[in-house]
Amino acid sequence: MATDRDKRAEILDRVRALGGLTPGVARQVARDTGVAEAEVFGAASFYHLLAEPDVRVRVCTGLSCELAGAGDVLARARAAGWPVGTCACLAACDRAPAVLHGRDTLAGIRPDDVDRAAGDWRALASSAVPERDWRGDVGPAGAPADRLACDLLGEPDWSGSAFARAAQLGPDAVIAEIDRAGLQGRGGAGFPAAVKWKSVRSQPDGDRFVVLNADEGEPGTFKDRELLLRRPDKVLEGLAIAAAAVGARDVYLYVRGEFGAPWRSLERAIARFAASGALADTRFHLHAGHGAYICGEETALLEALEGKRGMPRLKPPFPTEVGLWGRPTLIHNVETIACVPAIVQRGGDWFRALGKTGPGTKLYCISGHVRRPGTYELPLGVTVDELAAAAGGYVGELRAFSPGGASSGFLPARLRDTPLDFRALADAGSMLGSAGVVVLNDTADVVAAVANQLRFFEAESCGQCAPCRIGTRFLRQALDRFRAGAGRGAALAQVADVAWQMNEGSICGLGQAAPLPLVSALRHFPEEFADG
Amino acid sequence: MADRNADRASGGGASLTASLTIDGERVPFAPGETILQVARRAGAWIPTLCYDPRLEPAGACRTCLVEIDGWRRLAPACATPAAADMVVTTRSDRIARHHKTLLSLYMTDHVADRDACETGAPCELHALADRVGAATDWPRMEPVRAGRPDDRNAFIEFRPDRCILCARCTRYCAEVEAVSAITLAGRGSHTTITTADAASLVDTTCEMCGGCIDTCPTGAMTEKIPLREHAPPDRLLDKVRTTCNYCGVGCQLDLNVDRAAHGGRGRVVKVTSPPPGTPPNDGNLCVKGRFAYQFIEHPDRLTRPLVRDAGGSLRETSWEDALARAAAGLRGVADRHGADALGFVSSSRCTMEENYLMQKLARAVFGTNNVHQCAAT
Ligand code: SF4
Ligand code: SF4
Ligand code: SF4
Ligand code: FES
Repeated sequence: MATDRDKRAEILDRVRALGGLTPGVARQVARDTGVAEAEVFGAASFYHLLAEPDVRVRVCTGLSCELAGAGDVLARARAAGWPVGTCACLAACDRAPAVLHGRDTLAGIRPDDVDRAAGDWRALASSAVPERDWRGDVGPAGAPADRLACDLLGEPDWSGSAFARAAQLGPDAVIAEIDRAGLQGRGGAGFPAAVKWKSVRSQPDGDRFVVLNADEGEPGTFKDRELLLRRPDKVLEGLAIAAAAVGARDVYLYVRGEFGAPWRSLERAIARFAASGALADTRFHLHAGHGAYICGEETALLEALEGKRGMPRLKPPFPTEVGLWGRPTLIHNVETIACVPAIVQRGGDWFRALGKTGPGTKLYCISGHVRRPGTYELPLGVTVDELAAAAGGYVGELRAFSPGGASSGFLPARLRDTPLDFRALADAGSMLGSAGVVVLNDTADVVAAVANQLRFFEAESCGQCAPCRIGTRFLRQALDRFRAGAGRGAALAQVADVAWQMNEGSICGLGQAAPLPLVSALRHFPEEFADG
Repeated sequence: MADRNADRASGGGASLTASLTIDGERVPFAPGETILQVARRAGAWIPTLCYDPRLEPAGACRTCLVEIDGWRRLAPACATPAAADMVVTTRSDRIARHHKTLLSLYMTDHVADRDACETGAPCELHALADRVGAATDWPRMEPVRAGRPDDRNAFIEFRPDRCILCARCTRYCAEVEAVSAITLAGRGSHTTITTADAASLVDTTCEMCGGCIDTCPTGAMTEKIPLREHAPPDRLLDKVRTTCNYCGVGCQLDLNVDRAAHGGRGRVVKVTSPPPGTPPNDGNLCVKGRFAYQFIEHPDRLTRPLVRDAGGSLRETSWEDALARAAAGLRGVADRHGADALGFVSSSRCTMEENYLMQKLARAVFGTNNVHQCAAT
């Protein structure tokens, strides 16, 4: 029998099944689950895929898509009278511009594609990337598999051999290998994985959970998409190893709502392992997101899994102690967990030695003004030039780059030798974040790029805390005034105070980092903000 | 719930087993207390907006942030448990800048003119902004929060331009009333307070307790009647503490009296509840206590005794006469048909003492057990 907890966890899926939040749906779901009607409404209204049931087509407004002409696609679709809206980065920056169609991302949509669909949005298809389960470019080509932890080009391995090896070693030895590897969280924060594993393992008896954060949404980032499409075996096996190590049976996979193809890939992979029985002790639960960038924040993700508004929790307590349904919970980004099988197979020392300035290889995404945008597994600590070389070189002259998603701000070409690692970028006032690198060449408008990212944060703030809810809007309005011709002094006078407040006062990383695009641009590109 | 109440009682009875340092002073605390509770007891000034002692802390308004030695980030005092030997700072340049910039930001998204803001209800935000010296000249936000102007409920108005999204109202509705009629909805700067499908409160589970109004720090959730009838700003009203006479619980409430009204005779323009912590109702009221006060001025209200004349119509008389007539009538029935022909029904709007006297009258004076009170059914 479903418990109250389970019923609550289902409400968002039920709203989805009823076609989204149209009048009466909240009441229906309330009747079917016993959850208060207003709670259902409040939770569903948080997620744009549920809250705007009439929008069937969404054009990505991410920076790389904007650079690639998403604005024209949107204008064309509007002119055609389509039920069209916008959305935040679809994790398809390497095949920009991207459009969300239902819950599938269509990559490389040109304005002509809209015309070809001839008035019927249902017929929209990309002439550049026709398949719905498309994969992007990955590399580097020819790298030996024993130098790669994720090995995106490798054949999936369904044998469960890494899991078997972990079972042989036992939990303590597995955690010791993770520790020795120096594996740091690859979702953005760079927190040592082994510390989390130890913490969850050492909690007093009782239920505990492992959660996969596959809510990839940081603008410029699409590496988890590649992993889920190409190596779901590594992801599931890593999860099973982690679950066994911390003493969990239930693993929840929170997959971003816009990830139709990765979802299908995971479904197939789970079925495949179920058939082989290789990971028999682990119960995988697939859970769809419904459109909210903030749910990539781990505690917001837990709220979403529980069927609530995705508002981040206060920390401490951390999820390793008080996580999903109040139980100790190990949460990892897709890439972090995908590193685990190779570490177990080849040893922590092997992994650590792969890196340049930090342990391991890293999946770097690169998009914007480069020849072959894609996902490249390179030693941790390469420079942007080395990364761009792997991607076929720059298009034009490097002017600015955003090293780790919108939350990392913009760095000038002058800092091109900074290793793209956790520490060096933090020292440069930025961060590695998700390693979603966006390149801007000398034709790009830096101020327009900043405006793009400020709009993103304003749209994706959860709205819970005032510094972020008001601050993101304040900064966006200030930059709009500047761009409309108000002088720097008049338009941007409060930016320093507001940015300070957002950083000090916000609950979570979104609000803390949201001023960075503007603050970093003011610092590194002052000429763009000169009065006149 | 039980824990929370235990917390609130601490410092009075609970044993203070450990201590921490607040602004250089050693302060004892009991397990389970938050930094805010301990600091307030010690006399430190920590402003709050989303805190209500009746609710689980949300830590969302961010006004109460303090410094804790060894913590890189500021911590919400309302939601951070006190821990032994913590070193807490509530006064520093960093905290002062925090208060000032945070409140400056809040004010860009709020009705700027204090008098205009405070029609119908006082605004803690304005008071706090003044106190911390928040800027008043920052560019203003374009308003985005949706309200429910067509809600046909008679009592409660939501004014989105005054709302600071502290979620006290929604948490109150869920945690204290266990009703959950209202919710945070939408996301980001569009977040607002609403009902499912933005329905009128009368089409929801709302019990019209008005607790959402009581807890709201800004007057965003407010009473419709005084708004409609132009009550003067709250600071010009006298609050007269009294006991609600609708039932036997004995809730404390404050009649808000406009002394100048009716040519100086005065008028009750709204009812508010005393602060949380006031027994027995902890600041909570029900629909009758909070909203059913207009009978005070109602023309049908009996203010003098009436008796029927020979023709059967009612006319005013003196208390002596009225009581004598009632006594004679009751006695007459008892004499003719026996005491059990009488039945006494008293009102739940009577006090316990009055109800006690009523049953004494029935049993001791007339000798019948036919006595009842409407709250018993
Ligand atoms: S910082 Fe922004 S996203 Fe994070 S909790 Fe606050 S409002 Fe929500
Ligand atoms: S009046 Fe009471 S029941 Fe109705 S919304 Fe307000 S708090 Fe909830
Ligand atoms: S209506 Fe009042 S109590 Fe409710 S969120 Fe807004 S300001 Fe807070
Ligand atoms: S009172 Fe502590 S965050 Fe609002």
